[in-house]
Parts: sequence; C-alpha cells; structure tokens
Amino acid sequence: MKNYIKFIIMLMISGSVFSCSDRFLDTISTDQYNEANWWQTEAQAISSINGIYAVLRNSQFSAIQQLREENLTPNSYSMGGDSPLDVGAHNPGNVTRVRDKWNACYTGIGRANDFLDNLDKVPMEADLKNRLKGEAFFLRAFFYSNLVSYFGGAPLILEAPDFANHRDLPRNSRNEVVSQVLDDLDNAVSLLPLSYSAPGRATQGAALALKSRVLLYESRWPEAAKAAKEVMDLQQYSLFPDYRGLFLLENENNEEVIFDVQYKTPEFTHGLDVIIELQINVAPTKDMVDSYLMSDGLSISESPLFDPQSPYENRDPRLHQTVVIPEYMYRGGIVSDSKYFSTGYGYKKYTTYKDDIAQPSLLQSEINIILLRYGDVLLMFAEAQNEASGPDQSVYEAMNSIRSRVNMPEMPLDLSKDQMREVIRHERRIELALEGLYLHDIRRWEIAEEAMNGTVLNSKGEVVQVRSFNPDRDYLWPIHEITIQENPALEQNPGY
Amino acid sequence: MYYFTKYFIIIYFNVLMVVSGQVFGQANKTISGNVSGPGGESIPGATIVVKGTTTGTATDLYGNYSLIVSGSDEILIFSFVGMGSEEIEIGNQSIINVSLTNDGADLDEVVVIGYGTQRKVTLTGSVATVDSEFLKDRPITNSTQALQGLNGIYVNQSSGQPGADGASIRIRGVGTLGDNNPLVLVDGIEFNLRDINPNDIETISVLKDAASAAIYGNRAANGVVLITTKRGERSEKMNISLNSYFGLQRATFLPKMVSNSVDYMIARNQAAANEGQSVVYSEEDIEEYRNGSDPDLYPNTNWYDILFSTAPIQDHNLRLSGGSENVTYSMSLGYLDQKGILVGTDSKRYSINTNVTYRYSDKLQFGTIISGSFWDRNQSSVDIDDAVLTGAGRSLPIHPNILSDGRYGDTWLVTPGHNVFRHPLAVATESMQNNKSKRAMINMFVEYTLPFEIKYKATFAVNNYDDYNHRFIPEIFIYNPKQPDIPKTLRFDPPNRSVQKINNNNIDQSFFQTLNWDKRDIAGKHSLNMLLGFSRESFYRSNFDGYIEGFLGNELTELNAGTINQLVGGTSNESKLMSYFGRANYSYKDKYLLETNFRYDGSSRFAEENRWSFFPSFSAAWRIKEESFMNNLSVIDDLKFRGSWGQLGNQNIGLFNFVSNININQGTILGNRVVPGSAITALSDPNISWEKTTITNLGFDLSLWANKLDITVDFFNKVTTDILTRINIPAQVGNLAGPITNLYGMSNKGVEISANHKNTFGGLNLRIGGNIAFVNNNIDYLSGDVQYTTNMFGNIRVIKEGHPVNSWYLYEAEGLFQSEEEVNNHAFQHAATAPGDIKFRDLNEDGKTDIQDMAIKGRTLPKATYAINLNLEYKGFDLSAFFQGVYNIDIYPFHNVAFPLFNGAGLTKDYLENHWTPENTDAKYPRLFLPKRGTLINSTNSTFWLQDASYLRLKNLQIGYTFQSELLSRVNISQFRPYINGQNLLTFSKWTLTDPEKNILGQDIGDYPNAVMVTLGFNLTF
Repeated sequence: MKNYIKFIIMLMISGSVFSCSDRFLDTISTDQYNEANWWQTEAQAISSINGIYAVLRNSQFSAIQQLREENLTPNSYSMGGDSPLDVGAHNPGNVTRVRDKWNACYTGIGRANDFLDNLDKVPMEADLKNRLKGEAFFLRAFFYSNLVSYFGGAPLILEAPDFANHRDLPRNSRNEVVSQVLDDLDNAVSLLPLSYSAPGRATQGAALALKSRVLLYESRWPEAAKAAKEVMDLQQYSLFPDYRGLFLLENENNEEVIFDVQYKTPEFTHGLDVIIELQINVAPTKDMVDSYLMSDGLSISESPLFDPQSPYENRDPRLHQTVVIPEYMYRGGIVSDSKYFSTGYGYKKYTTYKDDIAQPSLLQSEINIILLRYGDVLLMFAEAQNEASGPDQSVYEAMNSIRSRVNMPEMPLDLSKDQMREVIRHERRIELALEGLYLHDIRRWEIAEEAMNGTVLNSKGEVVQVRSFNPDRDYLWPIHEITIQENPALEQNPGY
Repeated sequence: MYYFTKYFIIIYFNVLMVVSGQVFGQANKTISGNVSGPGGESIPGATIVVKGTTTGTATDLYGNYSLIVSGSDEILIFSFVGMGSEEIEIGNQSIINVSLTNDGADLDEVVVIGYGTQRKVTLTGSVATVDSEFLKDRPITNSTQALQGLNGIYVNQSSGQPGADGASIRIRGVGTLGDNNPLVLVDGIEFNLRDINPNDIETISVLKDAASAAIYGNRAANGVVLITTKRGERSEKMNISLNSYFGLQRATFLPKMVSNSVDYMIARNQAAANEGQSVVYSEEDIEEYRNGSDPDLYPNTNWYDILFSTAPIQDHNLRLSGGSENVTYSMSLGYLDQKGILVGTDSKRYSINTNVTYRYSDKLQFGTIISGSFWDRNQSSVDIDDAVLTGAGRSLPIHPNILSDGRYGDTWLVTPGHNVFRHPLAVATESMQNNKSKRAMINMFVEYTLPFEIKYKATFAVNNYDDYNHRFIPEIFIYNPKQPDIPKTLRFDPPNRSVQKINNNNIDQSFFQTLNWDKRDIAGKHSLNMLLGFSRESFYRSNFDGYIEGFLGNELTELNAGTINQLVGGTSNESKLMSYFGRANYSYKDKYLLETNFRYDGSSRFAEENRWSFFPSFSAAWRIKEESFMNNLSVIDDLKFRGSWGQLGNQNIGLFNFVSNININQGTILGNRVVPGSAITALSDPNISWEKTTITNLGFDLSLWANKLDITVDFFNKVTTDILTRINIPAQVGNLAGPITNLYGMSNKGVEISANHKNTFGGLNLRIGGNIAFVNNNIDYLSGDVQYTTNMFGNIRVIKEGHPVNSWYLYEAEGLFQSEEEVNNHAFQHAATAPGDIKFRDLNEDGKTDIQDMAIKGRTLPKATYAINLNLEYKGFDLSAFFQGVYNIDIYPFHNVAFPLFNGAGLTKDYLENHWTPENTDAKYPRLFLPKRGTLINSTNSTFWLQDASYLRLKNLQIGYTFQSELLSRVNISQFRPYINGQNLLTFSKWTLTDPEKNILGQDIGDYPNAVMVTLGFNLTF
C-alpha cells in the first residue's frame, strides 16, 4: 500500500513540475519568417525583389491578358462573348477584369513600396543595393503606368502598406501619377546596369523604353522621342532578323527583347498554346487580316498584286507569320477551313508551333511574354519624332529598318507629317499585332469611337459581333463598384 | 452431406446436454406469479431474468409468468421500461408477485459532465443527452450524424460521400465568424468524431451553456460534446453481441436535366439570340441531329443517370464485454463497407475499441482505453472544374458516353464555352485517388482515493493520426465519331500522368489530473462537491508531399514509376495549451443548488502578453417541488428552475497570426532559372487574443403525471465579443489580405423547448417526444464596418450590424417585364433589358438600378430547428421514427444547373418548359439567357433566384422484432432482433433541385448528394 502512495505522490509531483513552466507555451514557426526576423541578409533582400517580379506573371500583365485585351481592338474578337467590355456593354459591376487589374497593380506597388522602405536595413554592398533599388523603382513605375493607362488617376501611395493611413486615400490626378512614374524611371535609369549575366531583370534600356512609352501615351512628343533615342543610343539592342523567330521558344531573350516576363516548365507555365488553338476568347478578324499590305507596300484595295481568288498571296510576310490562314501549311499540315471556327483565322504569334513541323498540342507553354522590344522603341521614336519635328531622316531610318527586317519595301519618300502619321499608325498596328498594345494606341489616337463602333466580320465576310463605343465614357475603364465600396473616397470615372 | 449431418447431430446433442446440464444439473423448481404496475394494473411484456445468467422469460398478456430455476439462492430481477426494476431472492417461494413502481431510476439518472458525472436532478446547467438506445441500429456512417435530434443543435449533413460525409454541428447558433465547431471529447480526450465508431458510443452529452461548459474554458465557446465509449460491467457474465446490417442506397434528389439534344440545341440558340450573339448550332446541324439515328453521332445522354446508381452498404460490429469482481472489459471490432452512389467512390472502415479497468482495491483503480480506426477511401483524382460532380452538371446531352467501339466519345458539334468536354465517366473510372487514414489512441487513467475521501485521478492520452493520400491523374483519350482516328487528350491540372502523395501526421498528447472531494448529507442536509484540476495538451501537426510526372501509361501509379519533374513539400507546427480549472457544487437538501466553475487557460497561439485568460461561471437551481408548499400538487413530480451565467473562450484561429508573416512562395523565373521570391501577403495585428463568449441561461425542467410528461424549457443569450476575423481592406493597401483582429460582436438569443411523453396502453408502450429551438442571430458590433462577400456577379452576402451574420444581400426582383413599354417606364437597368427579363426594384428611386438598390433579403441560418421522436413497442415489435426539420433558411445556388446554360452547361427540364417567351408570358422563369457569357442582366444577384430551403425530413424509420424464447436461451442467445431501417425516406421541402440539407453558402449544386438508405439487419446477443 505504501508503495502505491509513493507512486501517486511521485506522479503528482512530476505533474506539478511539468505544470510550472510557462515556457511550455512558447512555439516558433518552422517554415515562415516574420517581419521581426526578416530584412537581415542579402539573400532575403534578393528574395524580396524577386517577389515583385513574380507579380508580373499575374495574367493581368502577361500571358492571356494581352490576348483578351486585343479583343478591345478591331484586331480580334471573342466568340464566346464573355466580356461586356468588348462590345461596350460594360458597367462598374459586370466586368471582374476591371477589378483584377486594379488589384494586381496595387499588389506590385505594395511590394515595391515595402521593399524600398526596408532595404536600407539590410547590410550589403552599396552597388548591389543601388541596383536593387533601381529594379524596385522600375517595377513600381510599371505598375503605376498600367493604372494610368486603364483608369486615369489613382491613389498615389509611396510608402509601405499601412492600413490605417492608406485605406481612404482618394484618387490622385492623372498628371500627379504620371509625374511620379517619370521620377521613378529617371531614378531607375541612373541606378540600373546595361545588362546582366542572365536575362529577366530590369535594365537601363528597359527603364528608358518604358519612359518613352509613358511619355508617348501622354502625347509629350519631344520628351518621348528623346527617351526612345536614348535607348537606341545605348547600342544594346537590335532587331532580330526573323519576325516569326522573334516569338519562338528557341530564340527567347534575343537581342530585340528589352524586357519580358519569364516562364519555365514545369514550375511556371501558362496555357497560351491551348487557348490560342482552341480559340478560347481570341480570334483574328477580317478587318485585321485585310489591313496587311501587299508585298509592294500598297493596300489590298490599291495594289495590282491583289487577287481576290488567292487573297493571301503576295502579302506582307508578317500576315502569315502572325495569323494562321486556312489552306496554308501549319504544324506540318494544311489547315482546314473549319479548324478555326470563330472567324476562320487563327493566331500564330506566341504559339510554340512551326509551320512545317507536326507537333502535338502543348498543354503548358513556357514562352516568355515580351513587354518591351526594340521594334516598338523604333516605332515609338518614329511617331514621337514625327509629331515633334515632322518626318525627318531619323524617322525614315527607324521606319525603314522595321520594313526591311521583313523585306517589305521602304517608306515612300516625301510624305507630309499627316501622311507619315497615318503610315506610322498603320505600321504600329501590323508590327505589334496581338501583343496587347493596340488598344492603348486606338484610345490615345482617339479613333476608338470609330474602330470599336460597328460590326466584326469573319473570313467569309459574315457579321459575328456588333460593337458599340461611347466616346464620352469608354476611353477609360470604370473603377469597379466593389473597389469603391471598399473605399468610398474613390471617385468614379465620368459617364459611369 | 452425410458427414455433415452426422457431425451436426453430434454437436447438437452435445450442446443440448451442456445446456440442459446447466438447467437440470441441480434441484430445480418452477416459480410463477404476476407482475403489476403502480396503479395495480397487470403488465404484459415485463421481463424476469435470473441474475447473472441469461435465463429468463416475459409476462404474458395478463401479467403472469412462469420460470424454471435451478436453485433457491437465485435472485430474480423484474423489470419493465419506465418502471425501474426489482430484485427478489427466490428463497423458499414458488409464487412471487411483484409490484413495480414508477421509474425512480429517474432520480438517480446520471449525466456525464466535464471531468465527471452528476445526477440529473441536481444539474444546474443546460445539458442535452443521447444514450446508445437512440442510436441503436441506425445506419450512422459518421458519428457527427449521431447528434441529430438533440435540442438546440443544428446538424447539417451536406455531403453523402462515403468516408467524407461528416455533418457540421452548430450548438445554439453561429457564434463567431471563424471556426464554429464545438469541442469534441471522447473519454476526455479531444478527438475527431469521424474516427469513432457509432456502435462504440455509450452516451453523448452536449454542454450548451456556460455553467456546464466553462470547465473547458478556452475551447468551449461553441459548446462541448462529451462522448463516452462503452465499457464492461462488473460481475457480469461475458456478453457477446453482434450487430449487422446490409442495405442499399440511392441519391435523395438529383436534378432533372434536359437530355434531348435537339431541345437543348434549340434552347441554346434561342439564348444566344436573346443575348445578341450569333447562333451556335446551325440549322443543318440540328436537322442532321433530328434525322440521325446513330447513337454515337447523335446521342441524347442523361449524365446524372450514368453517374449515379444504387449502391450497397454493410456494417458489422462485434462486441465482447463483461467483468468480474475486479475487472471490467469491453472489446469491440467493427467493419463498415460503403459503396458510393456516385460512380468511383467507396469507403471501408475497420475499427477496434478496447476498454479495460482493473480495481486493485477500494482505493485504487486504473484502466486503459485503446481504440483505433482505419479508413480506406476511394474517389476520383480530379477536382475543381474537372471534378466528376461538376461534370455531371455541366455535360450536355450532345456529348456521347461510350461509343459502340468501346472508346470514350466526344461530340462533333462546336459549343462556345464548352469546347473541351471533360468526360465525367472517364474521369471517374480512369482516375485514382485513394486515402488511407488511421487513428490510434491510447488513454490511460489511474484513480486513487486519498485520505479524507479525496479522489485523485490522472489521465494521460496519446492520439495519433496518419493519413496517406495517393492521387494519380490518368491520360484519357476521347474520340469524335466523325474523326475517329484523332484522339483528343483531356487536359488536367496537375497534368496527366502525374502522381501526388501526401502524408499528414498528427500527434496529440494530453495529460490532466484532478482532485475531487464529494461529501453527501453533511448534517443530513448539505452536500458538497469540489473539483480542482490541471491539464496540459500539445498538438503536433506535420505533412509531407511528393509529386512526380512522366508516367509511361495509366497502369503504374507509384512515385518511383514516374520519370520527370519531381516536386516536394512539407511543413510542421505545434500548438499547446495549459490550464488550471476547478468546480464547486453545493446542495441544500437537494432543493437549493449552487455551482461555480472556473478555468484559467494559456494558449500558444497568441503573443506572450496575451496568452492567459480567465473563464468563470456561476449557476443556481431551485427544485421547487421539494418545497413543502408544493406537496399538494401531486400532478407535478418534479419542477426545477435553473439559471446560469458564465464566460467561455474561443482560440481557434491559425497559428502565428500575431506576427506579419513573410510568404516565401512568391518565386519566379529570372535568368532562366527558378529563383525564390517572397513578400508579405497579409497584414497582422500583434494584439490579438481570445474571443470571449458570455452565456446567460434561464430554464426549468418539469415532470408531470408520474413522469409521463417531461418538459424542459431554456432561454439563453449567448453574446460573443472580440470575434477574431480577417477584415476586408481596400485594394490600394498593397492588395494585401486584411489583418485578423479582435473586433466584432455577435449574439445569439433563443429558446429551446422539449417535451417527452411516455405511456402504456394495454400491451403497447409509447414514447413520443419533440423539441424545437429558436435562435436569433445578430451582429452587435462591427465598428460601423460592413463586410461584403462577393461572387462573380457582385455582392451576394453581407455581415452588417443589426442583422444576422452572412445575410443574403440582393436586388429585389419584382417579376418579369412583359413589354417594351414596361421596360421603358421602369428605372434604367441595362441597355439590353427587354421583355422577359427580370425586373429589379429601384429601392432608392433614383431612376436606375445599381449597387445602392441592394439590401438584405434572406438568411443563411435557420430561425428554428426541430425534431420529433416516436417509439412504439408492442409484444416484441418495436417501431421508431425520427423526424428532423429546419425552418426559415434560404439558399442561393447559381452556377451549372441552377442557372440555365451557365458557361456552356445545359438546362433543367423545368427551365425548358417554364421560361418566358412572347407566347408564354405567364412563365416562372425569364427568357433564355447566358448567365456567364452574355450581358449578365438576369444573373445579377437578386431575390428572384433566392429559395426557401426549409425542410422536414423523416430521417429514420425502424421496425424490429425481438425474439425471446426458451429455445433461444437454450443456445445461450439472450436476444435476437431482426429489423428493417430506412434513412432519409421522406423529405418535405420547397426546394427540390437538390437535397435541401446542403452547404447553404455553397455557390453551386456540385455537392455529393445525401442518400436514401434502406437496410436490413439484426442484433444477436449471447
């Protein structure tokens, strides 16, 4: 009996010994850092800047979105009719894309701000620190430039996310945001290197090219031309000799690419191949196909080379390199008439397929999405320079190098400023087709109200969609009603 | 055959002799007599058993019995349900008449409460109980279902998938915005109800108010469910019982889709035309279909018929229990095999539960419970949009099933929004996902009586859970019969021919000790009970997963048979709890009762300064019937008023939420390599601490007419403050998820009423009872904020001060427009609004319908839950019926099937026959439209699509017959009872598209349906 009492007492004592330690309740995370133990090493800092690049893979900035936004131009249309934006039937509540774009931009902005506020805490050599800051400035400018393009003004936040102070800031004006974007890009230009040993990060050329684009979109012609010229003077980039090859997997990161969003199998891929092949959301229109010139440099209505029985012969080579035309060879076989059921035509740019090689369908594509390329810089320069000082020699040089890359004839001589403007605008449409840039062009040129008002035709000339565009309202996207619900201090864009 | 007969006869005679030897081995005599009740009436069907044996009999219609016994020192036990029992030593008597009185056992009825038991009469808190009788023989496949029918508890079984059919349990409404699950303890240890075999459950106690639950402090805010498992009895001969049933199941409700392809195609074209889009199916194609007869090319497939079928179920449980003077034991084995009503799903469960106690002396006893359960479950490996259930709703009649050459088929027609046909039958049968899970628990206790009658008890338990999920995505080819040589591969994410294996491992340890002092009848008047305790618990969770691709076919599915792209992941974490608790009960003459509980809890989930919190409770009761002035009211047998107040806590949020965590999974590709990336993705609040719930309860228990009628009424007010929730913040703050913070306040006020009646009419025993609970949920405080939940069409639910949580937030629909004129005269909705579209009310009358016109229009929590129980016994036959109902709750599914032609899916027959056309203007539904790919005007979230999901369901109906004859007792069988049981037989509800017992917040109908089950089974007891 005594033994048992002793046993019980021992149990109680050991129990109470266990009980007295409050340290028992201390636990630490085994797989997560927190703000207290972050911003301490170089590896953490680099990991943080990479986290900002990761936002570029959001479909709002790269794969898929550039296709869907091509539907907002006369180049392309979606058979499923899945977005009221395409046809002008949108309002602040019925397009989720509008909210996704806003949110994605602020994800990037928030991360860049957090980075810039905290980087100084990390002990590392000054050169690297400056370079990282330059990258953050570039990325922040990229996200704000997106907000401006689609919505106009937006809350301009430049500090790490702070709920209490940032939650009800109103929209700043368009000019304020643009001015900050240009500041950030100038900072970036001074801090970024010309190139890296491995591609993907922001370079000085990228910052200058983005600066040129932002200025161009604001119609600030002399400044835009100057920035574009600075890119050209870097002598870092040149046109890739093969237009189709520019967008193929084996030529990734070539000399024309200034900045792109990188993908790699199997970790980070996108479904562009599948989407393009199945025509989910995208198909080229007759209007776009018809806009390609003949190989003599004239339009199909003017050129004697045009043959209505074989309308796709003797065309600008870029036609067959951008669009899949039925009865021509693609993926090792002749394309049938019914393959592309939306409009008869299919997209070719940004697929991984070649014309003459039979390839099975690729489920996950790793092709990089080019955001800034030298061809675009030349076109931007030409447009800005033409507006600033008329069609001078530098304008012709820029335009002719675009033409000669694809063996198209050079620009006709002695064009007036207005004529050159038309030629450049047309060339922009052709050269940059399906890269998600044309919608910004038709808006800033204010031709959207004609281009997006009317019918969309398929290859047989049948009407497949009727669009409408309200010029008092549709040049800007609405702020989504949920966004305004979350912060009632935000003012809606006019007309909505 | 000859040998068989020979051996059979030999064995039979041997058995007979052994049995007879027992009966005839000693001097035996016949005892007879009459059994009567308190009013002097004879009782037929009363049982008489010789104590310690299985020898016994029952009284006949006149209350008379006759029994042969073997010795005069035998004791006879006379009993009848509702009337207690009497033990009488035979002695020299040969005629023994017995008069049974009313169930005095009621006074000694004991209820399991926290860390002990208490007599029901002295209970001051609100506790609902279920005993194993109520659960007996019901085909309960998951023990969460066992709680259905208890007053104040809303149990919603929203899935019927074998092995994954747990129900959600809400005690007294929804008290928080986070985890609302009650604390479940099995034999004192936190446990998962899914892993407890319902056949092993002895009692269930649900502690509903603070008085009863405060002793569990920091986890008790949502109520506590205490389960005890069966154990053996002392000095009882070994009992062997076998319970088995076999049954069939089919789905309760399945949607009726249009399966005629031509009808579907015409409808789709009409919808496209209404949306201003081009026609989808050309006239030639439709003509071809009309005239075609080849089933491969022109199918009219009914996918729900193909994917759902009748499925079998069987369950077997064997229990051995008994005890000697010092040892009690109970060992049970169980086997459940349930095939699913959806093709490709099934599950098996093996369970064991052993419970042994050893009484070393009057002062010392110890024991152990070892239980284990093993589940093996199969289902399809593909989920989300490619899931089989989604496919059932999405697949069209034009999609062929299996072609005449045996291959899986695809259609030759082009359908925007549905060009990739995810063949659901192929997915269900070709893919593989197997989940094996095992839970093992060892629970040991020792109890020692110290001087001064202080009982010391220490319990130590280890609960280990492991599961392995093995998932293989197959390569599936489908063939278009017009291009029969071109296979089309179905694409999935993760991709085809990949395998993922995940292992989850949990180890929970608990150690608690209590000191208990119980003294009755001090100076003949006072009783006192005190409890003091300490507990420590740790919860360790880890998981590990491996993934690989590049399999060469569908045959081999192990990780090593893959070849490329290996990925690996894993994590672990630990959380801990430490508490001091105590309770004191005082009773004066069992008339005035007082109780207080407290618990002081520390949790590792909060920052060091905020870890500890104190939870007290106070309660009192007055058994007014014991007062002298109540003596004359003989109709009242017992009347007790109770009141309680107390505070409880809820700490069930994720770990490490008090620091801003860096998400290190934001990697990307730079320089052609994968590089790590990190970012903060959510804000945090370092000051978070417990949620506090304060419950006030007032109630009374009333027994009338010799305990023939029992009524219990409880009024409660459950107020929760400092509710932890993640708040929505505007996207401009870095598009971060908002911080989890203690901010909100919610209350649940209600009343629970239950009434039970038992009676006897001649040979018929009747018990009927019902209960109903009304709960009114209200958001008390949200700091002026409004939290919206949105779906693809906009706002759908809201959490707002002054209204129940998660109320439906919708436009108000006013019917359909009938003419252009009507459209023009109404407030502006959309440029494309036309006759046949839904009319929305312009609430603020500003001439347009926009987000300002939305308002709270419905509830996601029921106003009342109720249940009705009926038991009848007559001459060995028994019938029991259990109804469960839910009142005033609304459901809003959209997505495939609920909306017509949603994103390329089909439509229901109901919609096809009842939509608006210029010829059919008096229709139920708007004109055909495309809910996702059009102008979205009719799919706007509005009351038009809001439905009442109240229901009353005959949850269980059982009829059985108990054989009790001399012949049986000769082969030592004390009871043989075959029965037939039906579950979910009848459902009354306005909502008929799916089973109304579903996840109310779910956006679509793609849940696994519940099953109607009919089973045939038997109980055999030796």
